[in-house]
Formats: sequence, structure tokens, C-alpha cells
Amino acid sequence: MSFTRYLVRKLAWSAGALAVAVFLNFLLPRLIPGNPIDAIVSSLGRGGAEAGTLKAVKEAYTEAFGLDKSMVEQFFIYVNNLLHGDLGKSFTTYPQTVGDLIGEALPWTIALQLPAILIGWIVGNILGALAAYKSGWFDRGAFISSLFVSSVPYYCVAILLLYVFAVVFPVLPPGGGYSFGTTPEWTSAFAADALEHYWLPFLSLLVVFIGGQAVGMRSMAIYELGSDYVNYSRGMGLRDSKIVRYIFRNAMLPQITGLAISIATMVSGAVITEIVFSYPGVGTLLFNAISQTDYPVISGVTLILTVMVLAANFLVDIACGIIDPRIRAAGGVE
Amino acid sequence: MIVMEPVLEPSVPGEILLRASNLRAEYEAASGGIVAVDDVSLSIRDGEVLGVAGESGCGKSTLGAVLSLTARPPLYVLGGELEIAGRKLSFDPDHAPPRLWRGSVVSLLPQGAMNSISPTIRIGDFAVDIIRAHEPGVSRKEAIDRAAERLEQLGLPARALSSYPHQLSGGMKQRVVTVLSTLLNPRLLIADEPTSALDVSTQKVMIELLIELLDRRLVGSVIFVTHDLPVLRMIAHRIAIMYAGRIAEIGETEEIINRARHPYTGALLASVLVPEPQIRRRRITGISGAPPSLADPPPGCRFHPRCNLATDVCRTTQPPQVGDWHQYAACWWAQDHQGEAVVSYL
Repeated sequence: MSFTRYLVRKLAWSAGALAVAVFLNFLLPRLIPGNPIDAIVSSLGRGGAEAGTLKAVKEAYTEAFGLDKSMVEQFFIYVNNLLHGDLGKSFTTYPQTVGDLIGEALPWTIALQLPAILIGWIVGNILGALAAYKSGWFDRGAFISSLFVSSVPYYCVAILLLYVFAVVFPVLPPGGGYSFGTTPEWTSAFAADALEHYWLPFLSLLVVFIGGQAVGMRSMAIYELGSDYVNYSRGMGLRDSKIVRYIFRNAMLPQITGLAISIATMVSGAVITEIVFSYPGVGTLLFNAISQTDYPVISGVTLILTVMVLAANFLVDIACGIIDPRIRAAGGVE
Repeated sequence: MIVMEPVLEPSVPGEILLRASNLRAEYEAASGGIVAVDDVSLSIRDGEVLGVAGESGCGKSTLGAVLSLTARPPLYVLGGELEIAGRKLSFDPDHAPPRLWRGSVVSLLPQGAMNSISPTIRIGDFAVDIIRAHEPGVSRKEAIDRAAERLEQLGLPARALSSYPHQLSGGMKQRVVTVLSTLLNPRLLIADEPTSALDVSTQKVMIELLIELLDRRLVGSVIFVTHDLPVLRMIAHRIAIMYAGRIAEIGETEEIINRARHPYTGALLASVLVPEPQIRRRRITGISGAPPSLADPPPGCRFHPRCNLATDVCRTTQPPQVGDWHQYAACWWAQDHQGEAVVSYL
């Protein structure tokens, strides 16, 4: 099968999955019993507003969110809005749009996670391959510490770092993306302040990620080291460096999938870290939206998440197809 | 069933090409070392095919790994010497054998060629890597041309070079790997069960390919490790029968098959389902018992617990080699019955 056909096929799969995801994303929040507007109105009512005002507010909200129309109509409005890049408006911070909220939070999450994932992936894979190849004490040390940091719950590492570097030795700030009283702006003073807040959440993610990758790569590489082609390549007098390159190429496949999935699920992975460090990213946004039942924000974030997972999977399929001819031949329906 | 007739002249002129002496190799295990090749010496003439046969676990594949210099942990070569085409190598557990010997002086034709090439590279890329591992100055194109020329010379399609391993059939892959193994014209090719995974007609094609490689002098000699005696009868000039890490008997193929002198050889032949005239009439008897554990081999002759002809001396003292380097049986019975075949006594 040609590579183009493989690509087209993959693209069609992704498009289909996206359509289903959009549909579910629309449907699921609306299946939850109770009208979100009632919740808003009743909270206003507790504030002591008059009945007439409340009724007007309720009507205004119902119209603004299009809840007076039928489900089918609502769905087409939703899809139409999506096509125009409109994710709707937040319930709790009305009239702020979901797009604006995510737009504010997403850069923080990406700036925190992407470097941690990429550096962690590279360092972790090299560490794992070296451990497998060298064996002995180096392997034991690297393997045990990697296994430890990657198997303790995620937040433990974060809390441990927080405790050591912000409480016992208060060298770094304990939380937030920047100091209280400052507002995000493009100045060197703000950048330095943000960087100071950046280290702890970054390191907590990096350590865990290096550990996970190293453990996975080590076992893959050990498996490959015992394979027939390694033995035969040695028997034909190939240099070790060449053989290690073969091993890398074969051991890399699951690691690439892992990388893409980490990037794609960055937002959900960020939730705990961002909560522990009160970091102003998408994780915190999602957490707050869920606790305030802010449906448009929840579905906005989950939609972004879905798109990212699909895009990442598509890229993985391409990368794996380039690296492994057998996947290409199988049409990618593994 | 295809009856495999001998296709080579039983003896070939030629000088001694390889002399291996006192090879010892052990597998490191938690319970201690397991010596799988114990003081094995053998010589091969130029142009000769030496078959190595025996039951599973007798050490024949380990011997192949030692001779092809591909032993790797947990297998350690404890000692021994290898002299091939005027070059000498002393095995020493602390020093790795020279990399450049592998592939050009001795070469390996592995068991199960299925997984012998990395699944993510093309056959041609691997051929280039083989040639350039030994001759770094050769350009990629030159290396590909050389590999293509060799394939066509041996009647295989050159387009195999642009294929990935999984795109070739089992038989084709085994033949392509054979060509790759001999790309650098090695003096000794160690073929470790190359035909075991193939059906009989593909086996025949494989064996013809090996014979052609010998005829064209693209390989010096071949050590053919297998448990398949009918295949050996077809290709081997001499056969070495291994038992529990040692050579029990070695000799001209027809001598081994028709006039075996070691009781183990006789018993092994008696358990083969081949319509040989003298075997056809007999019941297949098999060999009672199982091979000994190499972690704790029996004293004296290692075959004595299963041998009908064992005497007291067999139980205590290691048997002598009765014969010369070219043809001998390591057996007390053979010592007492010089020139007799063991078959009629079993």
C-alpha cells in the first residue's frame, strides 16, 4: 500500500472520530439532569434579588444560551458556532467567552508541560537505553530510581518538592504562575517572576516523566538486545554503534506513541500539578469549571482535549508508518 | 518423502583450513557454571562440509556460537585456540575476539533467518552496513552493486535488496541471509540449523545454494549444525556426533552412517526415520533415558548411564579417542573392538 493511501485512510479515521466526539461533547452535558440556568438564578436569588428581576435574568440567560430551542436546533447552532471558532460563553463568568478563557489558560499549560515532556522524553529514553546497554551498577541505580519516581503517585513528587524547596528551604515560591499584584505583561521583570514560579511545577513534571520513559525504554531495549538480528549483526562484524542504532529504531516505536499521547493528554495530566501549585493553566480552569458546573467551559476544554488527542494520534500514525514498514503494509489497522 | 542421496564426493582434497583445539565454553547460571562445550577439538579441510549432529542440549549450537565468535553472556568461552587460514586466535574470557574476524574470516548463518535482520531496515541497507563494517571506504552505491551482483550470480533476484525482511517468503529470506552471510567470502561458514524451519523442497534449494557457494569458492568450508541426519547425509563430507558437550564420534559421512563405532552414534541412527536399506527392516528403538544435566555430568564416559555396552571402566574413566583427528570414536568399546561397527552389538 502506498504511503498516500495510508495517509488518506488515517485522515478519514481521524475525521470520523472527531465527528463522533463533537456529537458526544454536545450531548453528554445536556443529559445531566437539571437546568444550569436554574442553578445560576437560584444563586442570584440567595443574593436577595427580586422575583421579577430573576425571571428576566432567567429569560435572558435562556435566550443567550439558546436553551429555548429544540435539541436538534441547538446541535446545529452548536456545530455552526464551532465552525466559526465559537465555543460559547461561560456560565459563571458570563459574558466571558469559553474561547477567551481557554486562550488565557492554554499558554501557561503549554509553556509548563511541553518543555517538561520533550526534555523528559529525550533524557528518559537516553537514560533507559544506556541503562540497558551498560547494565551493571549504572543500570541498577538508574532503573531503581526511575521506577521509584514513576510509580509513586504524581502529586507526591509535587508535594515533596513543594515541601522541600518552598517550606523547609523557602528558595522558591510555593504556588501561582506569577506573584500576587502583578499582571501578565511582556516585561523582563514579569518574565523573571514567572520563571521563578515555573521551576517547581516544571521539575515535578520532568522528574516523573524522565522516570516513566526510562523504565519503558530500558525494558524495550533489553528485549531488543536479546533478539536474533542483534546476534546476527554482531556475527557479521557490525560495529556496536551501528547495532545500537538498529535497536533504537525498533525500541522507539512504543516510545513515540507514548510521547504523542503525553502531549495530547497534557491538559488532563496538568490538572493535579496545576492544582498543587495553583498554576493558572487549563487544568485549573477545568477543575474550577467542574466544581462550578460550568458546562460550556467543560465541553470547550474537553473538545480541545479531544482534538489534541486525535491530532497526536494522527501524527503518531504517520511517524510509525515512516519508521516501521510493517505498519504501513498493514494499512495501520493494528 | 524425498530420499536425500549424497550429492558430494565423500572426500575432497584440500589442506587443513581450520584447527580448533580444547574449546571450553560455559553458561553462567545462578547454580554455577554449565559447561556446554567441554574440551572440543576438531579440524576441517579446505572445501569440506563438516556436519555437527546430536540431540537438543548436546552443545552443538553452543559450539557454533563459539566458532562464529558470537558467544555472549551468559555464555562465556573459557579457553581454547582457533587457527584458521594461517591466523591464530586464543580465547580468553577477558578479551573479546577481534570484530573484523566476524563475517570475513568466520561467518554465521543463523538459525531461523526470520528475525535475523532488523525489521525496520531494508535488506540492501543491511548489506551496505555489512560491507562498510569491514571496508569503511566503500561507497553506498558500490556496496549495493556488489550485493546485487552476488545475488544475481547465485540466481536470486537483486530486487530483494529493496525489500524489508517481512516482504520476503521464509525460504527466500533464508537464502538471502545465506548470501549476506557469505558476502565477504568468509573462510569458514557456521550454519546453525539453516534448514530446520524449511519444508523439504526448500531445504533442497538451500543445500544446493550452499554447495554452489563452495564450488565457486565463495566460502572456504562449512560447519553445518543440525539434528537432521538425512540432510547431513546429503551435504556433509564428515559428521561429528556430539553428546553432552563433547564429540562422541567423528568420521566420514558414509562411515558414520554405515559403520558407526560409538554406541551413541548407533543408537542415534537407529532412531531416525529414514528408509535406509539396513535400517528399514529394524524397529525404531530410540534411546532410553535422557541426556545428562550438563551442570552435573556423570563421571567417566558421559553416555554410560544409557549405554548397553558400558563396562566398569566406562563409569569411572573418560574414554580415549580411538582413531586419528580425521576419524575417531571416544569410546572404550571401540578401543577393544578396533575396526568393528557397533550396529550388530546394539
